[in-house]
Parts: sequence; structure tokens; C-alpha cells
Amino acid sequence: MDEKNEALCIGIDLGTSRSSISASNGERHVVDSYVGWPLDMVARKLTKKTVFIGHEALENRSMLDLRRPLERGVIKEGSDKDEQAVRELLRHLISLIGIHQNRKDRTKIRAVVGVPAEAFRVSKQRLRGAMDGIADTVMLVSEPFAVAYGLEALLHSVIIDIGAGTADFCVMRGRYPTEQDQRTLPSAGDAIDEQLAKLIRERHPEVQFSIHMIRDWKEKWAFVGKPKRRVMVTAPVKGKASDLDITDELRSACESILPPICETMLDLVANVEPEFQDKVRHKVILAGGSSLISGLTDAIEKALLDVGGGRATVVKDPVFAGSDGGLAIARDASNSDWERLSAAA
Amino acid sequence: MENVAQTKLRLVREAVQDNVPRGHYCRIISVSAPRRRFPIGLVSVLLTSILVYLPASEVILRRAAGSPVVPVERVNRSVTSAGNAMASIHTPRVPGTPPRPLDRVVFPLSVRKVVIDPGHGGAQHGAVSESGMAEKEISLDIALRLRRLLEGASFEVLMTRETDEAVGLDKRADFANASSADLFVSIHLNWIPRQELRALETYVLGPTDDPAVTKLAARENRDSVYSLSEYRLLLERIYMDTRQDESRRLAKAIQAELYGSVRRINPLVEDRGVKTAPFVVLVRTEMPAILVEVSCLSNQEEVKLLTNDDYRENIAQALFRGIHSYADNLRGSEEKVPKNGRKE
Repeated sequence: MDEKNEALCIGIDLGTSRSSISASNGERHVVDSYVGWPLDMVARKLTKKTVFIGHEALENRSMLDLRRPLERGVIKEGSDKDEQAVRELLRHLISLIGIHQNRKDRTKIRAVVGVPAEAFRVSKQRLRGAMDGIADTVMLVSEPFAVAYGLEALLHSVIIDIGAGTADFCVMRGRYPTEQDQRTLPSAGDAIDEQLAKLIRERHPEVQFSIHMIRDWKEKWAFVGKPKRRVMVTAPVKGKASDLDITDELRSACESILPPICETMLDLVANVEPEFQDKVRHKVILAGGSSLISGLTDAIEKALLDVGGGRATVVKDPVFAGSDGGLAIARDASNSDWERLSAAA
Repeated sequence: MENVAQTKLRLVREAVQDNVPRGHYCRIISVSAPRRRFPIGLVSVLLTSILVYLPASEVILRRAAGSPVVPVERVNRSVTSAGNAMASIHTPRVPGTPPRPLDRVVFPLSVRKVVIDPGHGGAQHGAVSESGMAEKEISLDIALRLRRLLEGASFEVLMTRETDEAVGLDKRADFANASSADLFVSIHLNWIPRQELRALETYVLGPTDDPAVTKLAARENRDSVYSLSEYRLLLERIYMDTRQDESRRLAKAIQAELYGSVRRINPLVEDRGVKTAPFVVLVRTEMPAILVEVSCLSNQEEVKLLTNDDYRENIAQALFRGIHSYADNLRGSEEKVPKNGRKE
């Protein structure tokens, strides 16, 4: 067995809301990007665990110092606890694919991690620091590039990766994307949550809800355009469970991210060589958790009509598109590529 | 025509290349002999108070002489008299005859090597906005963009830091000197108590009697590790800086480009022009050196603008054009300053 086959390749998509991992041993997992530590001795005794990750952390949040350590797709600045939380999250992801921290075999781990297209260089540096000791060699690539690579959409396409913290755009022109080919918008899934909470609070000031309930509602019912059905949810009013119609609020909140997304997409397309713009407009690919908003492709295509028309599609597996793409890059990189990265680290 | 497999192979190589640090990563030359150090707070307070005292003594000397012009030797004496206060704790260096600036037309000069100095780094965050944006991060981001633009125009570029690390102010200057750099450009972001203000200003080395500038210099000099024995030399350099003409030309070129460019996006920005201040990082450098405050982290609107990639790129391009314009002017070239950062 050669060195390349002995190494375990992984692709990681570290998201503000969810993080996914795809590994060359066939394992694929997704976790909510939450990390929590028991608040005090009582909580420690009750939970019998030192750290909680993902859904388990959310479930036990009342007893935990709960962190969502990634903001706009990178480690939050200024808090050691958030850095620690990212390390815990990464360790957890690695353990899910069957690699444990105190493992005896010395399988080399080669990781490709997706970061927002315009992540500050310093933020990338901190992410590398967090990966230290978790993977042997790390390559950071822009998230939409990883998606494009996994789909082999390498020429005349636009990838729009809409996550919770950021919407990342990348025009693929058969080259590794430069700054001119990429954009990052800070308004994505989280912006919808905030807007939805605001609108519900304005219309129903007596209703009690949390941001987690809002996220849950959005993930189940998010849509843009004409509603297919009324969206009814249950929330307490003065402690009594009550039914609420949030159709209009949900639609307004989801549509609030459309103008910047369409504008950015059209701006990127306009920068492509004129003879290829039509091809690019007909290959708009949506990925990321927020690409599952019902009616989104129609809304994008409607915006494209103003510039000659086009076609938008959602990737088959939006949650894993980034990590699968990362894995594909990790697999295709040669031993000498990894050695080069290792020497530069 | 390349097939998909070949394209993928090429893209992976390019992705790897993007992850490998560039060749100009600096290794700061370590100071071989251990240096006598004093507490930073004490050093800052002393340096600031002497720098405030000296302009006042210069005014007194001018008045005593009854002449608006004070000979260099007289200024030198005032420096020496200030230095005497510390005579018991250091061995004074004997100043030689102060060099006089030569007319620049005597030598055909050109700019080849530029040292970019992103302010602060590591535990030294510099100014921090209310939202938590740190000066060290933005200065580095703009510096890296500027490097790309300068390298694209065939300048050799060295960085005092290219990661989030703490580098002493003296080491930054030593690095520039040891590299025989032609220019030194230090990039900083301002913090002004009146938060509604948005100001752009560029500094060259020199004394100041402006309390706001003194405060700013004290803040930026906080990381200084100069010992008291070096104060005399520092003060002489501040007052008799033969590079000041060239530094001022560079500062003017940069300030003009920066203001012209930024005000198009940020019309409320104020042009505060070129000023003098005793920044420690400028004292020790031996080439034309400037410190530019490219934005204000105290102003929320500017902080918002700084989160935009295009805005930071715009600042880097303005700095690039300023440097390019100065370099062209120096060699009397007719070449136009490119707008997009690429050599025409």
C-alpha cells in the first residue's frame, strides 16, 4: 500500500449552523455547530459528561455554557472559549469517522477545510491553529470552490453557497478562483432568523419564543414567492400553547435576503467575459442549508430574466456538498502536494 | 484542449499553491546582545514627556535669540541639555556633525524594495472597534493586499509580519534597515475620542506640540522597548532627520491618493493631511519612512465599510498608487500610475 492509500483523506465544511465531514473511509456525518460545557458541579454530576456537541448540546442547553463558535463561517474573535469550542467540534467530527484522539495506529489525516470565500487571512490562520494536532496536514479552500470541485462544475458556472452565517459566491472560470471571482455576503440563514423573530415580535408581542424555535420553524417551512399552504406553528402565550399563523412573516423574512443575493450574483456574472455570460447564467448552482428554501430557484431565475434569462438548480445533497467537495480535493492532491503543504506548515 | 481530469489536477495544484506562504516571509533578525530594558510604561511616559518638552524649549531658544530661525547647532544643544537630565544613568553618545540633506538631483535614485509594516499583531491588538474589529487584523489584511499590488508592479516587497504575531517596534525598523529597503510604509488605523469623526492622516517623523498627536504617538509607541541609554539618539534623529524631505514627499503622495480614493465611497471623511509625530517605528528606520492611519475604528460607519472587501482593496490600491507615484517622480519617469494596480 502506498503512502497515499495509507492516509485518511477528509473534507470538512465548518458551518455557522451545521458542520459536516466526509471521509475516504466512507463515513459522512453532520452535526449542529454547538458546543456546551456543564455550567457548574451540579450540571456536571447530572449530565456525567465534560462536553456536549451538536444536537446533544442543544437538548441540554439549560445546564450548559452553550457556544456557537463559528461566526460568519470563521472562529469568533476574542474568545478563548470559542477557539476551544471549535477544537472540540473538530475532534468530535473526527471521532465520528472512527478516528480517536488516543488512537494507536498512525494513519495520517489529510484534511481539506472549506472557509468563506473572503475569510480574513488572520481568520484562516486561527483555523489552522485549531486544526493543529487534529489533522496531520491541512489545506484551506473557499467553500464554494469545494462545492464546484465536487460537482465538477469547473467552467462557466456560478456557485452560491448559502449557509447560516454567510452566502458565498464563486464564478468558476476553469481556474482556482481569485478574489475577483468570489464574494461573501454576511446576510444568510441567521439574518432570516433575526428578521423572522423581529416580525413575529412586532405582530404578536405576547408570544413567547426562542431563537431555537425560530430556527426550527424556518428549517421546516421556509419559502419565498407564493405560499403553497399557510404556515401554522405552536408557541406559548402566557404559558398556554397557542397556534400562530406566521406565513406572511416567514415569507418577508426569507425574501429579505433575496435582493443582496441576486444583486451579487448579477454583479459577478457581469464581470465574466461577455461571450461566456450566457453559459454562466444557465449554470447557477445553489448549495448550503439555506438553499433548501422553497421557491428559491424560481426567484433566482426571475432575477436572471432581467439580463437575458438563466437556470438555477439546487445541488442534490446541499448539506454534504461542501465536505464531499473537500474530500474530492483531498483525494486528488498528490503525495508531493501534501508534502509541500506539510513542509510549509 | 484540457479535459476535466487535467483541469482538476491543475486546480488542486493552484489550491495547494494558495496554501503555501509566499517567499518573502520575514525572519526578524534577533538582537544578539542582551539589552538593558526598562518597564515599558516608564519608557513611554518619559519619551512622551521629553518629546512634549522639547518643542517648548525650542520656542524659548528662538525667542531668546530674537530670530525666527534657530541654527541646527542650537537645536542640538537643546537636545543635549535635555539629555543631561539623564546623564547620571547613561553614557551619552557623542553626536557627530549633523549630516545636511543633499539635493535629490545629485543622485539618480529609484525605489526597488519596499518594507510594509502592518501595525501591531499578536497580543497587541491596537485600536479595537466597539464591535470587536481589531487594528492588527485590518492593517495586516490591507498590507497583504498592498504587497500583491506592489509585486504585480515589479517592486520587491518585504513584510515586517505576515501573520498575527507580535513584532517589536525596534525589530520592525531593524528588519527594514538590514534589508536595505528603499521605503518603509507602516499601516495603522486610528481611534478618535470624538467618534463621529472620520479622518485620514499620514505621519512623518518629527516633533509635535499637538496634544492629540502626542497621545496618539504614545499609544502607538506602547510596544517600544527602547532603553533610556538610547533616548539621546532617538531625540537627535527626531530633530535632525535628513530623510524628512523624502519622507514628506512620500507621505504627500500617499495621503493625496488615499483621500482622493476614499472620499468617493466615504464622502464624510476628513483630509487631515501630512503631520509630524515622534512614532518610535519611524525613528530607527534609515530610509524614507511614513506611518499612515487609513481609517478610524472609532467611527461605526467606517467599521462597517471596513468589513467590505472592496473597501479594504480600495485603500490598498490608493496606497499602491501613492507609492508608485512617488517612485515615478523620483526617477522622473513619465509612466502613468495605473488605476488597477497592474503595471501598464
